[in-house]
Amino acid sequence: MIFRRIAAIAAVALVAACGPKEKTIKIAVAVPLTGDMGTEGQGLRRAVELAVEEANAAKRFPYKLVAAPYDDRADPKEAVNVANLIISDPSVVAVVGHYNSGCATPAAKVYARAPVAMVSPAATNPEVTAQQNSPDWSGPRVVFRVVPTDDVQGSYAATFAAKKLGKKRMALLHDKSPYGQGLAEEFKKGFLAQGGKIVSEDGVSVGDKDFKALLTKIKNDASKPEGIYFGGLYTEAGLLLKQMRELGLNDPFAFISGDGAMTFGLFDVAGDSADGAYLSIVGVPADELPSAKKFVDDYKARFPNDERKPFDHFGYEAANIILAAMERAGGPDREKIIAELKKTKHEGVLGTTQFDDKGDTTSKIVTMTRAAAKKRAFDTVR
Amino acid sequence: MRKILRWRWTPWAALAAAAIFPFIAGAIDAQYLVRVGGVIGLFMLLGLGLNFTLGYAGLFDLGFIAFYAIGAYTTAIAMRAGVPAPFALVLAVLVTLAVRALLGLTILRLRGDYLAVVTMGFGEIARLTINNLDALTNGPKGLQLAPWRPLSFLSADPNIQYYLMILLAVAAGVIASNRLEDSRVGRAWIAIREDEIAARLSGIPVRQYKLLAFTLSAAYAGLAGGLFAQWEQFVTPESFVFWESILVVSIVVLGGMGSIAGVLVGALVLVGFPPLMQWKLSADWINYRYLFFGLILVLVTLFRPQGILPSSRREAELTS
Amino acid sequence: MLIQQVVNGLTLGAIYSLIALGYTLVYGILTMINFAHSEVLMLGAFMALGLAALLPAVFGTGLVGLVGMFVLSMAGAGLINVLIERFAYRPLRNVSRLAPLISAIGVSIILQNGVFLWISTQSLRFPEPVAIGQVEVFGATISSLQIIILGLALGLMALLHFFVEHTKLGKAMRACSDDIQTAGLMGINPNYIIALTFFVGGALGGAAGVLYGMNYGSIKYNLGFLPGAKAFTAAVLGGIGNIRGAVLGGFILGFLEVLASGYIPNGAQWRDVIAFTVLIIVLLVRPSGLLGEKIAEKV
Repeated sequence: MIFRRIAAIAAVALVAACGPKEKTIKIAVAVPLTGDMGTEGQGLRRAVELAVEEANAAKRFPYKLVAAPYDDRADPKEAVNVANLIISDPSVVAVVGHYNSGCATPAAKVYARAPVAMVSPAATNPEVTAQQNSPDWSGPRVVFRVVPTDDVQGSYAATFAAKKLGKKRMALLHDKSPYGQGLAEEFKKGFLAQGGKIVSEDGVSVGDKDFKALLTKIKNDASKPEGIYFGGLYTEAGLLLKQMRELGLNDPFAFISGDGAMTFGLFDVAGDSADGAYLSIVGVPADELPSAKKFVDDYKARFPNDERKPFDHFGYEAANIILAAMERAGGPDREKIIAELKKTKHEGVLGTTQFDDKGDTTSKIVTMTRAAAKKRAFDTVR
Repeated sequence: MRKILRWRWTPWAALAAAAIFPFIAGAIDAQYLVRVGGVIGLFMLLGLGLNFTLGYAGLFDLGFIAFYAIGAYTTAIAMRAGVPAPFALVLAVLVTLAVRALLGLTILRLRGDYLAVVTMGFGEIARLTINNLDALTNGPKGLQLAPWRPLSFLSADPNIQYYLMILLAVAAGVIASNRLEDSRVGRAWIAIREDEIAARLSGIPVRQYKLLAFTLSAAYAGLAGGLFAQWEQFVTPESFVFWESILVVSIVVLGGMGSIAGVLVGALVLVGFPPLMQWKLSADWINYRYLFFGLILVLVTLFRPQGILPSSRREAELTS
Repeated sequence: MLIQQVVNGLTLGAIYSLIALGYTLVYGILTMINFAHSEVLMLGAFMALGLAALLPAVFGTGLVGLVGMFVLSMAGAGLINVLIERFAYRPLRNVSRLAPLISAIGVSIILQNGVFLWISTQSLRFPEPVAIGQVEVFGATISSLQIIILGLALGLMALLHFFVEHTKLGKAMRACSDDIQTAGLMGINPNYIIALTFFVGGALGGAAGVLYGMNYGSIKYNLGFLPGAKAFTAAVLGGIGNIRGAVLGGFILGFLEVLASGYIPNGAQWRDVIAFTVLIIVLLVRPSGLLGEKIAEKV
């Protein structure tokens, strides 16, 4: 009896919480909004919302734009669910997503059936776009990526470590994710090609907190590594840095990582231990590009209580590129937008963005920065 | 309500309705539900499988999803090696059965909660091994599969095709479970679950029957994993985390342990509810999906602890 | 390097042991796995953070602040555990073995999502009430933080031991652990003792949460899950229901993880596989855990 009552209340609540049924044009944001990766996805959602709000305020289009969030929980099955939901909603014109390569890859197949464009701000596994060249791919090419694949950053960091820092022996670490492992593998390739030696290779898991044993092993390694290259995100990077300093691994022992770690959250996790860490990012740092600087300020003004995450500016750019394509296409037409996206030549927070025939960004600029904990900033290293 | 449930033709009516549904879904703007239905079906298969281990034999298994993973990866690796799709599915079932039997032989002597931890451990071992053995499984980057669309004559939409294939598998699974439940084997399992010592004393070879229940579960998981791999055309270790094992346990317990109808309803509710909420809740509320999910778990358990559709035996036990 | 790794192992083991104790105490008395324990430990950490943030003058600095933050967070976590038992487990206690478990899973989801939705989705900086220094001992760099953690953990375990072995309430807890029905017949109020057990278990979990935050410097809504699962494994390894077993299991697991990461090439990614494999092997040889009792089944 009580059971029935609960069911009734739940049904009423569900109906009440249902969204309004206005006629709007939506840009879907398909990212993990809850669960372990919820933090990163929420950042991307905010970035896309910022772009959409700016477009609405400037009245770029004769209809209301909405950033419609879809939560894939970093679970590939959920990502495909969400993709199916998105394509069945005719008011969605394009998708910014997904965050994880493991989600982007299967979801892309669904988007190709509609077809609906998917512009990824963070999925870096080459397979996400490469699968479109496979004979098994059915449908048009709908995948675009504003973030470069791992080979770009990894090899740049390898050259930096070998030539600029003069390191000959490095220890390799990654977080066993497509992003982190991919980055690390590219670094290894590049570093070995420059005559360097990879002293040890280890994988940690996202969510792990204790790296003391691993770092102790690296510290005492007979081959005497001169630094660590870490492919992964800021939480693990920050913990590594903190525990490295606790074990006495300071300069000149170098810590190099990629854009997944280059965010203010690093300072929250590592505090002063982050000082001196080398972090590469794709493109030019936000402070040096006027358009990017504006984004940083607008973001802080719009979301004063939330910190910018490593891939947020990619999400912002993805949304703006979609909006630009929609303008050129003359309206909210999914297929026209796909066609226009291919012709993108966009100036924005990432500099100039163009897509190659696979859908990957042609931008190969990488900048190395150094973390300055006291000022909570990242200084460009020339 | 109860009368409808006991009506002889209900299962057949439900099956017919489910089979027709995808074809009318387009007309009522519910194609998404076809996809959700397929996923629910996969978890119905998993639930039916775990029902042997947990529902009938009473063995607490916290790592069942490992066999879903083994089924999926076996299918993927086999198909990439050139094995035709239907044989890949059969292979998936065989491999899962073999691994499960080996595991059972090793660990089934353990009691209750110790078994739970060991199965949890095995689940993690399987997932981490898949993630680490890059040479075989491509590690975190995952494996792609070629599409297999045997039901193209019915519909071009792979969602509909796989929905129907999964429905067929679920129907077969239900029939198999039903037959086993009503057989000597089934009664022996219930006897073991109720009172292992009494069962042993009445001549039931307890160890063998436990192993049988434990192993048979894997067939369902392997088949489900194979279908899953072929539908998504992509497998990655991220799909097989510990949480999914807990979900399957919840399906069986919440639905009604040992009750086939209960497992089906449990899967329908627990797997269907979050995507339904994703569909219907406004943007501000979708973050709350899992909070509601947790609330439902607690509330349903508190107010209907015997499960949503418990088997009549269980109902009798718990309400006496 | 060995000394360093030993220290690493001790610290990690100490934290696992505290969490494992929470699981084992509850199991001992109710034969129930408190799945929500991992969230209780997370809430302990958040409560400490909250205290430091709301009353920085009192809790932010100094030894007094540290102890105060600890005690209050422990009490808070204990209280939460008691409330969970009262409302989510007690009604199901006599129904079936697994129903409280599903309820526990639900509670766990609610707590995790609650913190995610209403407190923060991000990693939050955990305060350092006492200045952290480093000492060099035989070539190993030991941070004062590690010493504090180890000291606090061992101190709490000693307190627990004293409480359980040498006080009347402790004796009542042990009695209920052995046979709750008979204990009830002896004049002990089982509900009261169960609540007390949950309080103590939760407090220990909360303490572990605070230590966790101190050790790693930041906390997040999902911090409980992994350590909870590992500590549960440790509790079972030692023999679930057995207090000494939980401590033993916790330290063994800590050392196993350190050994795998520290000495086996490429071991870090196989660390958990190694830990679970060892668990399986141990349980095959000793099916009731290392210190677990063989429960004779009455025919």
